[in-house]
Amino acid sequence: MQYLRRDKKDEEEGLSNPFQNLDKGQVLQEARVFNETPINVRKCIHILTKILYLINQGTHIGTSEGTETFFAMTKLFQSKDLMLRRMVYLAIKELANIAEDVIIVTSSLTKDMTGKEDMFRASAIRALCRITDNTMLQGIERYLKQAVVDKNPSVSSAALVSSLHLLKPNFDVVKRWVNEAQEAVSSDNTMVQYHALGLLYHIKQSDRLAVSKLIAKHSKHSLRSPYAVCMLIRIATKYLDEEPEVAESPLYDFLENCLRHKSEMVIYEAARAIVNLKNLKSKDLCPAISVLQLFLSSPRPTLRFAAVRTLNKVAMTQPMSVTTCNLDLENLITDVNRSIATLAITTLLKTGNESSVER
Amino acid sequence: MDSIVLDASLYTVKAIAILDNDGERVVARYYDDTYPTTKEQKEFEKNLFNKTHRANAEIIMLEGMTCVYRSSVDLYFYVMGSFNENELVLVSVLNAFYDAVSMMLRKNVEKRSLMESLDAVMLAMDEIVDGGVILEADSSAIVQRVAMKIDDVPITEQTVAQVLQTAKDQLKWSLLK
Repeated sequence: MQYLRRDKKDEEEGLSNPFQNLDKGQVLQEARVFNETPINVRKCIHILTKILYLINQGTHIGTSEGTETFFAMTKLFQSKDLMLRRMVYLAIKELANIAEDVIIVTSSLTKDMTGKEDMFRASAIRALCRITDNTMLQGIERYLKQAVVDKNPSVSSAALVSSLHLLKPNFDVVKRWVNEAQEAVSSDNTMVQYHALGLLYHIKQSDRLAVSKLIAKHSKHSLRSPYAVCMLIRIATKYLDEEPEVAESPLYDFLENCLRHKSEMVIYEAARAIVNLKNLKSKDLCPAISVLQLFLSSPRPTLRFAAVRTLNKVAMTQPMSVTTCNLDLENLITDVNRSIATLAITTLLKTGNESSVER
Repeated sequence: MDSIVLDASLYTVKAIAILDNDGERVVARYYDDTYPTTKEQKEFEKNLFNKTHRANAEIIMLEGMTCVYRSSVDLYFYVMGSFNENELVLVSVLNAFYDAVSMMLRKNVEKRSLMESLDAVMLAMDEIVDGGVILEADSSAIVQRVAMKIDDVPITEQTVAQVLQTAKDQLKWSLLK
């Protein structure tokens, strides 16, 4: 009986995880199937999944085995199957650091990124930018610039995010794409807008005048993407922090306006930005504090956590401004999330007086 | 207290992971070098799992990072960011990740069905975060980009053997349960 039970348990284990106890050598052997024609799509996807799973589990794959697998994989570009091609892109990115001479797929990827199939283009761009180096970048620059302003949002986002990854080693090339990025900021797609604004800031970061123009332009015409607004709030805060008279600045009005945004993400980002500004008088903190106070009684733990953590920071420097929240903080002492309870208690210790301690 | 004014950056996510109910890694992806080796990563995952698997608290600070999480049957989904990252942004990524996986597995968010569609889950992870940047946070857009064929060969085009095999599998599972 006992044996039987153990067998069943083992069997269940095996069934629940077909990837358990994979042997690296065996899987890499199986990858020879990639060379067969016609291509067995299902089988190849399954083997690619196994390889990716092994890498994800941290299995070490040597340079020569990696290179061999990589070259076998390039044969799969003959298939037009969507899922298979996507797995190949994924595997290219994973093997890019392991295998040698990965640039041999450059032309296949360039073909896919400029081709008709939208489903291929975005992922091909991302894979291509992972294997490209400075000299090759010149060759694909034209296509990348086009992709940034592509009307398909996934293509545009892929190009923008890839440009960001390329920015550090290739600053002089990527900074020439500012106009395209600028155009993409006005995209209807929220993620494209976010990525475009982010890329622009990363390019202009060290030029204070350019940053101030960027903020001025986009703080007036409201951005559609809450992620982009959060990004702009951070850019503005960093800029404001170096100004002497914060409350006078129009940027402060922008932050205050964001407290009335419809997305909680933005409201919180703005409130946090305001309370963290170092040159702000305590009366200017009030609107931000009251927003955070509302979050304290939210049913969602993350909102309570975010609010109490921010108030805790404020209480270190300006305990008086937080006293209005004391009652709500007391309710959090028994919160199911221990971090929230702890933060509430330490905040109260700074703001509380005798009467609240007794309760 | 360190400087509180944050650097504005598109790099927001430090890692995303799915662990099973033993705290073992199902899939995980790290986007910076906080934990450079697999050994350190797995130690962190163990620690994370021990701190989170009983308390269903949604958010925790661990080793200087903000971790948001949610669980389903025998799986735990995590998204990690820097300790001063906007927590609500991280939660939006977590929800997109979970919802996308849930849609692809047709609401059977459990280890067995996830393993059967591991290829699609890996592609979805790839569509959500690219090198630490949130690429897409809308779950239906993610599922659409993964382009998993939800329905396999239509039943009329299946061979008799295939139909029999499916029936056999289903019978076996109903007996095992």
